[in-house]
Amino acid sequence: MFLYILKRILLMVPTFLAVSLILFVLLNLAPGDPAAQALASGDANSGQSTQTGQKRESYRLFKEQFNLDKPVLFNTRFALERSDIETTLSDILQLRGEVGMGRRMDAYSEIEDWGWYAIPGLVAILSDEGADLSMRGLASDRLISAGQRPLINPTNRRPNAEERAQNKVTARSNLAIQGWSFSADAPPERVSEVVTFWQAWKAERAGSWEYSGAEKARIFFTDTRFAKYWGNLARLDFGVSHRDKEPVLKTVASKLKYSITLGFCSVVLMYLISVPLGIWSAVRRNSVADRIVSTLLFMMYSLPSFFVGVVLLNFLSRGTPLQIFPTGGFESIDTSSLTTLEYLADVCWHLVLPMFCMGYAGLAALSRYARTGLLDVIRSDYVRTARAKGLPEGVVIIKHAARNGMIPILTLLATLLPTIIGGGVVVETVFGIPGIGRFMFESIVGRDYNAVMAILLISCSLTLVGMLLSDLSYAIVDPRISFD
Amino acid sequence: MTAAPKTQPSSSGNQVSAAASRDDLTYGDIVWSQFVKNRMAVLSLWVIALLVVVAVFAPIVASDRPFVWTEGGESSYPWIASLFDRNVYISPVDIFFNLVMVAALPIAGVLVLWWRRVQASGLSKRARRRKLRSGIAVACFGMVAGFVFLLANPSSAEYRNFQREIDKATDAAEKDPSVVVPEAAFPLIPYSPRTQGFGSVEKPSATHWIGTDQGTRDVGVRLIFGTRVALTVGVIAVAIYVFIGILLGATAGFFGGRIDLIIQRMIEIMMSVPSFFVILTVVAFVDKPTIFHIMVILGLIRWTGVARLVRGEFLKLRKQEFVTAAMALGYKRRRIIFEQILPNALGPVLVAAAFGVASCILVEATLSFLGLGDLTVPSWGQTIKEGYATGAWHLILAPGFCIFLTVSALNLVGEGLRDALDPKLRQ
Repeated sequence: MFLYILKRILLMVPTFLAVSLILFVLLNLAPGDPAAQALASGDANSGQSTQTGQKRESYRLFKEQFNLDKPVLFNTRFALERSDIETTLSDILQLRGEVGMGRRMDAYSEIEDWGWYAIPGLVAILSDEGADLSMRGLASDRLISAGQRPLINPTNRRPNAEERAQNKVTARSNLAIQGWSFSADAPPERVSEVVTFWQAWKAERAGSWEYSGAEKARIFFTDTRFAKYWGNLARLDFGVSHRDKEPVLKTVASKLKYSITLGFCSVVLMYLISVPLGIWSAVRRNSVADRIVSTLLFMMYSLPSFFVGVVLLNFLSRGTPLQIFPTGGFESIDTSSLTTLEYLADVCWHLVLPMFCMGYAGLAALSRYARTGLLDVIRSDYVRTARAKGLPEGVVIIKHAARNGMIPILTLLATLLPTIIGGGVVVETVFGIPGIGRFMFESIVGRDYNAVMAILLISCSLTLVGMLLSDLSYAIVDPRISFD
Repeated sequence: MTAAPKTQPSSSGNQVSAAASRDDLTYGDIVWSQFVKNRMAVLSLWVIALLVVVAVFAPIVASDRPFVWTEGGESSYPWIASLFDRNVYISPVDIFFNLVMVAALPIAGVLVLWWRRVQASGLSKRARRRKLRSGIAVACFGMVAGFVFLLANPSSAEYRNFQREIDKATDAAEKDPSVVVPEAAFPLIPYSPRTQGFGSVEKPSATHWIGTDQGTRDVGVRLIFGTRVALTVGVIAVAIYVFIGILLGATAGFFGGRIDLIIQRMIEIMMSVPSFFVILTVVAFVDKPTIFHIMVILGLIRWTGVARLVRGEFLKLRKQEFVTAAMALGYKRRRIIFEQILPNALGPVLVAAAFGVASCILVEATLSFLGLGDLTVPSWGQTIKEGYATGAWHLILAPGFCIFLTVSALNLVGEGLRDALDPKLRQ
């Protein structure tokens, strides 16, 4: 048994890795630029256009901070040639004929993303007397951006002394290269001045751009979005949210109590109702009552939960016609004056409708399972023996038949594990409960990569654990099954 | 024609002797005869047929183009002209259904005439079935070819608002009796799903049977055209994942060994992907999601169930005598997989597909409800979303009923099919 569990857990690791890879690629290759979106929503700095000066720089910093400037899976930027950079620069400047606006923007981002790797090429273009002056000017301008070094942990509000000292040095060197650029109409003295500065600057850092084979391999695999993300993930660091700059894990943990309360309560309620209901309709199988209940449950199963939620909300809380339950939220706005008991009652009162909404579809499915589960065993020999012994029918059903008949439905419990956490996107949105489902939805709409990724991965690992638990619970409740 | 000998339904041992006669009952016949005994399932099948008819012939019931338009003594036919006009019907879904509407009756007529001749030709039942199948395949292929042609050559005329032209002319005629008001014969509901300007969230009335929505559009028309969207999403998404599932499941089950192991790992990986979250994420991250994105994503994520089913069936079937016989006859592997084993494994897949269409329709409605759907096509979920925002009952109950009707009909058909396939329940 122990060996089996160990084997399964070890098998989970590659599965989890593969899932995270798929999700990561899916998210990062999806069209749409999260950085531009975050800036457009006024998140980083004020301003209208993402193209000019200050705004553009904060866009670059945003990408750098979230590793969005790196390639998704493999990094080949150590092999950048001068000609690559020339192509991109001439696209920006439209030197080789008309270039579409979209391509020009892309080219601009491209050279920005290359960053440090583009420096040798940029300096070479800058120093080339024969090259177009506007291109040389642009190269010097891009050098200022590419020469910037990233600060450590810029979102950390309480850095330690060492980090602070290091960041000070970085900031000073970043400041030192500001302004060393020229425009296309600059006088020759200025041009030569800037060129000398950058050549000296590059000479100071000679060797930074010569990569050995091992270094190339390291860059190829590790200086990428995925590698950086996984490096952090291994330390259980899911990154910070684009939106509020708080660690994602902290936010998720703070939302956990809402979702777990809702999910757990609805699952318990679901079982409490569906198991007796299933047994009841199995005992009275094919009677009119059984048919009516089955049909009703079937109809419930075909109604989408958002529809049921909206109907309940409108009918029972919004005053058309009734106003019994609160219209949403997890608790009343002001709960400070309530005693613990009153608070519990308040939460329960708020959760009645969401709980019903989350549970009713499962209710139909579960009671069907319970019904077939009992029907499977009710004709078996040991049940007949129990009856033949003269036991009362109730004891036969509850003690002998139901115990075995409920095995499948019990093992189903484990597979509901991920539902408890994340099953409530719709219900939490309809009823305004600030749980994980709603957080997920808001993060998706706000393109918060780190938050979305974190919830997807948590949900995936819960699914994996749920599958294992459901297999194990078979062996626990049914001694005939063994994995050894 | 001699009467077909009845097969003994109870035991499978008689199948060999029954198969000896030429006009025996096929497996499909047996399943069908079981299926029609389930009254609810048959009723549901009729409901689905009705929905398909509504979806296909929606423009006949509701369109803002008049059938006949007489202005200054000259008649034109804007309704016909608009059917493939991308200014009127923006979505490819509408173009497809309009094509089906135009082509369905003639094609069906030709098929029926041809079928009569085939029936009179004295071929065996199986041979006739095969002919029928190829005839339907040719018709479908022609339809798809026509659709592709229409998509590749979009036509668009200048957009006219006929209703407003009539109103203007009527106003002018009051002042100046010499102005002739154009005569128009509109469909029963003279609005399109995109016709705006009726007043926001009006209650049901004689002019708007199910009221209007927040976008000042007629809800009834949107629900009718929503049938097209729902059915398309369900059917295409399921077609995609059934295709993937069959391909992978058949490969895994037939070849076994290392291939099976790899495909099983793939299934395991896809199963632990939180599918609804991923669908939500991808749809939200695509710049302007259309229902084709939704279909493709659904299709690419949900194939695991079908793959497992098919794999299981193949594992079971490949050891049976008829496969060994086919191998001994030197059939190619492809022929054994697709012509010998697959037809026998299709039953459970069909059941899964029926349930799958229902659940894909639900997912699309949920996405639209959350505001992540395709805004260019009318969807039932969108209307419920507006009902949620405004609290207007007609915006909640009417689309809710449509979803309920479609989904429960599909679920009941799936259930009926499952029972009909179950030899234990055979009556």
